[in-house]
Amino acid sequence: MSNVILKNSAINVVNLEKSVITQEGVLTILKGINLDVKQGDSVAILGPSGSGKSTLLGLLAALDTPTSGEIWLDGVALSPLNEEQKAALRKQKVSFIFQSFMLVDTLTALENVMLPAELAGVKNAKEKAQAMLERVGLSHRLTHLPKQLSGGEQQRVAIARAFICEPKVLFADEPTGNLDGVNGHKIADMLFELNQESHTTLILVTHDLQLAKRCQRQLVMDNGHLQEESIQSSFNTPPLANAKEA
Amino acid sequence: MALSLAWRLFKRELQQGQLLLIILAITLAVLSVSGLARVSERLQVAINGQATQFIAADRIIDSPVKIDAAILATAEDLGLKHVTNMQFNSMVYSGDKFQLVTVRAVEAGYPLKGDIELTSGKTKDLPQADEIWFETRLGGLLGYPKSIELGNSEFVLSNEISRLPDAGFNPFASSPVVLMRIEDVAKTGVIQPGSRVTYLYQFTGDEASLTAFEQSVKPLLNSSQRWVDVQSGDSPIAGAVKRAERFLLLASLMGIALACAAIGIAAQRYCQRHYDVVAMLKTFGASAKQIRLLFGMHLLLVTLLGIGLGLIGGGLLDFGISYLLPPEIAAYSPPLTRPLLLGIGTGLISAFMFSAYPLLRLLAIPPLRVLQRQLEGLQLGMWLHFLLSLGAMTLLGYLYSQSWTLTLTVVSAVLLLGVLLSVLGFVMIRLGHSVGMKTTNPLQLALAGLRRRARQNAVQLVGFSAALVLLLTILALRQDLLNEWQKQLPENAPNYFLVNIAPDDAKPLNDFMTAKSIAATDIYPVIRGRLTQINGEALISNEQAEAGEQGRVGISRELNLTWRKTLPANNELLEGHFNQAADEVSVESGVAERLGIGIGDKLTYVIDNQELIVKVASIRAVHWETLQPNFFMIFTEEALAPFAYTSMASFYLNDQQAMNDLSTNGQATNSQALNADGTPKDAVILALIQQFPTISIIDVGAMVGQLRQIIEQVSLSLTLVLVLVLFASALVLIAQTEAGMATRQRELAVLRTFGASGWLLRSATGLEFALLGGIAGVLAVIVAEFALYLLKTQVFELNVYMHWPWWGIAPVSGALLVALLGVWRCRQLLNQSCSELLKASS
Repeated sequence: MSNVILKNSAINVVNLEKSVITQEGVLTILKGINLDVKQGDSVAILGPSGSGKSTLLGLLAALDTPTSGEIWLDGVALSPLNEEQKAALRKQKVSFIFQSFMLVDTLTALENVMLPAELAGVKNAKEKAQAMLERVGLSHRLTHLPKQLSGGEQQRVAIARAFICEPKVLFADEPTGNLDGVNGHKIADMLFELNQESHTTLILVTHDLQLAKRCQRQLVMDNGHLQEESIQSSFNTPPLANAKEA
Repeated sequence: MALSLAWRLFKRELQQGQLLLIILAITLAVLSVSGLARVSERLQVAINGQATQFIAADRIIDSPVKIDAAILATAEDLGLKHVTNMQFNSMVYSGDKFQLVTVRAVEAGYPLKGDIELTSGKTKDLPQADEIWFETRLGGLLGYPKSIELGNSEFVLSNEISRLPDAGFNPFASSPVVLMRIEDVAKTGVIQPGSRVTYLYQFTGDEASLTAFEQSVKPLLNSSQRWVDVQSGDSPIAGAVKRAERFLLLASLMGIALACAAIGIAAQRYCQRHYDVVAMLKTFGASAKQIRLLFGMHLLLVTLLGIGLGLIGGGLLDFGISYLLPPEIAAYSPPLTRPLLLGIGTGLISAFMFSAYPLLRLLAIPPLRVLQRQLEGLQLGMWLHFLLSLGAMTLLGYLYSQSWTLTLTVVSAVLLLGVLLSVLGFVMIRLGHSVGMKTTNPLQLALAGLRRRARQNAVQLVGFSAALVLLLTILALRQDLLNEWQKQLPENAPNYFLVNIAPDDAKPLNDFMTAKSIAATDIYPVIRGRLTQINGEALISNEQAEAGEQGRVGISRELNLTWRKTLPANNELLEGHFNQAADEVSVESGVAERLGIGIGDKLTYVIDNQELIVKVASIRAVHWETLQPNFFMIFTEEALAPFAYTSMASFYLNDQQAMNDLSTNGQATNSQALNADGTPKDAVILALIQQFPTISIIDVGAMVGQLRQIIEQVSLSLTLVLVLVLFASALVLIAQTEAGMATRQRELAVLRTFGASGWLLRSATGLEFALLGGIAGVLAVIVAEFALYLLKTQVFELNVYMHWPWWGIAPVSGALLVALLGVWRCRQLLNQSCSELLKASS
């Protein structure tokens, strides 16, 4: 792979395949995926349930290992790395937002946001966390536990946590999936706002067409293959027929 | 970072009560060990302390000759205190009256344990030179002279003895006892070469020194010398002390096993709750080392808190118990070191070894779990968890009890339970296929739930059943032990023995008892005789054997022989039939084994210079620890009636009866029938002495009282341990119920969404738990009966029998208990709305 191409790429994927062994035999989830995401791009990955979106997300984020093919994350090839090295890479470059928020329910909002900064050894983690929570409009909820926050507030905490270490790449798995329409929009606004401010590359898995439209690119998973689609041109045609308007 | 995060996580989870279960479990384990270790040591010292008063020392060497001075030097080197006593029979004279007495000649320092009880009260003094203290009946027999002659010397009769601390229980000791200084023996001239003297060397000191002394000296003793401690031999309290110690150990082990089981379950839950946290942390780049440090530190903090609380709890337990004990026992403060170290060791070993498997799984949670929630990472074989848990339980058990028998018995019961449950789990799954998935009524829903969660239920069954097994076992053992002691010391156990009853006195004595409304026990005729031949082979004494003579060794002294028509109540026939023909004899099993006597052997006795030959018809076991007259040999009346005999009997006299007679007969006029403080002696006893001057009256009331006190203390400790085991059982039940909550929550959410009514769900939940509890109850009874069989036969020497009522009570109780617990725990879930359930379960 050309060094010039890798230099400008946040994520580069060549001939990626992922198969798993099931009771019925070998199931190939991803087939011959090729992808190049430039730094600062925002990419939505759409597709019906079971199409392999989350599997792809896991591979791109160095959480899983492909059956074959290669992935470069910010110029670093993932295949030679062991688990510890992948963890170190994620610590430096990657962040996440989850559908189910994944907050630690025994820690306060402030402590949850501090976590990635503490893992990375950032000295003023607390101050940075406070600033992030203020940024997402939760300065009055620093000491509250997740169960004391609404769904939207919890996701805002998760967003603050995701951005505290200024990641190169942000992976978001259905960030509005557990939220109602109004809150979902607010979260989406916040997400894209912060993303633009920090020039992070955003990889977003979603069913929400409106959310997907806000990304610069839309990719569709279909039967293990990844295709680039324009939302406007394929609004009424498969394979997006299974995706829903929010 | 990991350390500060560990501290933060610990603080928060503690504040929110999420660590309650695991901390309680560790606390209970540590409290059980440290508290019980201290309480049981306090009680054992108390019991042994009281028990050693029965032998007036911690250890005794009983010898027919003076022992080597080097032995006494060894004792001194080890820091032991010792006194030397002599005991021999001799005649004393007063004017024209004379009496055979048992002389106790003692050194200054006697008694090392206990006190001499005079009629005027307890004393620490001893007779002065040229002084003799005497038992009441000697005074009665000689008419209370001012002095008596013993050998070549004259002694002033000064104080009247009620009881010597090491008088023991020997109703055959018909001679009254006198006490004198050992330094005065030589001048009496009664001890000549060939005189029969018993030398009693009494020792006291700390346990370690006594053990060292025993190890060095016991091998040096010959067959005529005896090493005596409170647990050796057949003293009334020996059996009680041994059994009490074993029970305390066993029950403590079971309490520890239960607490460890609770830790295992709580640790599993603790780790499962952190699966998502670990996945999320790894996603954000936490290294394996950081995760290990974080959760290792977190678990250490939990453990340290549990240990701290457990040690405090153990201390409070000991403090509380000391209030319930007599002051002289409460004053004793056992050393802290062993209980402290045991408690800390237990906390660390149990927390880490029971958490090791769940913790390994936690650390191996993959980061991909954030996207695929079903992932649980490394599937280590359950055999590892099993091995670690059993290893921990065995190690802790041995550290506490220092007994492999007890430890392995408990572990075997646990293993059996595991095997039974695996089989049952398999059967449940197979049977459940036919039940189907009908949900039209609560029972069907409950059965379907059991089948669906077969594996999880099998695990829960382990916990429920284990708790019930241990509870049943401890309950049964405690009750059996208390019953055994109650039999040994019934409410109105005889506190007086009468010996030397002449045949002519038998009826008048009976009339006397009837007139005083006193119920006397069986009258045993007693004849002195010596066993001289077995199957025609002449027997030699131990001394002759020591001197090098060849021959079969017999019993070197006269025996007390008796006759009975029926087997005595506290005897058990082991072989043969109880005396039917006139020439048959029944032999005690210990003597039979020692002399190599079997059924059909011919025994020759010499009684009053006449030979009597009888045939061994039966061998019987005797419960020597009961306060009843016991005999090595029992004949028929036809065999012994031709010989001159006296009889013995016993009776119970309460204080009221003792004083009643005084009110009808007025004040005693004989000034020497008064106690030293001027109060009249027990009127009935006085009347007995006056009416039957040749009958010897032995007061065992004080000893019975002491024995009762020991048993009360032991009962207290048994009850205490039972309560601890109860708490531990409850904790396991709660922990197991807690363990299944997450799955149950999801199920309830789905069923509610599809329209199941609150009544249906509550009833089905209750029934499911009830079924689990009922099955656990049945399993518990099976394992408990097996465990009790092992324990009673191998450890406690108690009678074995089936506990038939348990087969009904245990399943019903188990069902009720688990159902109540399960419904109580699920009540919050059952009262939630559909949306709340769905939200919580997602």
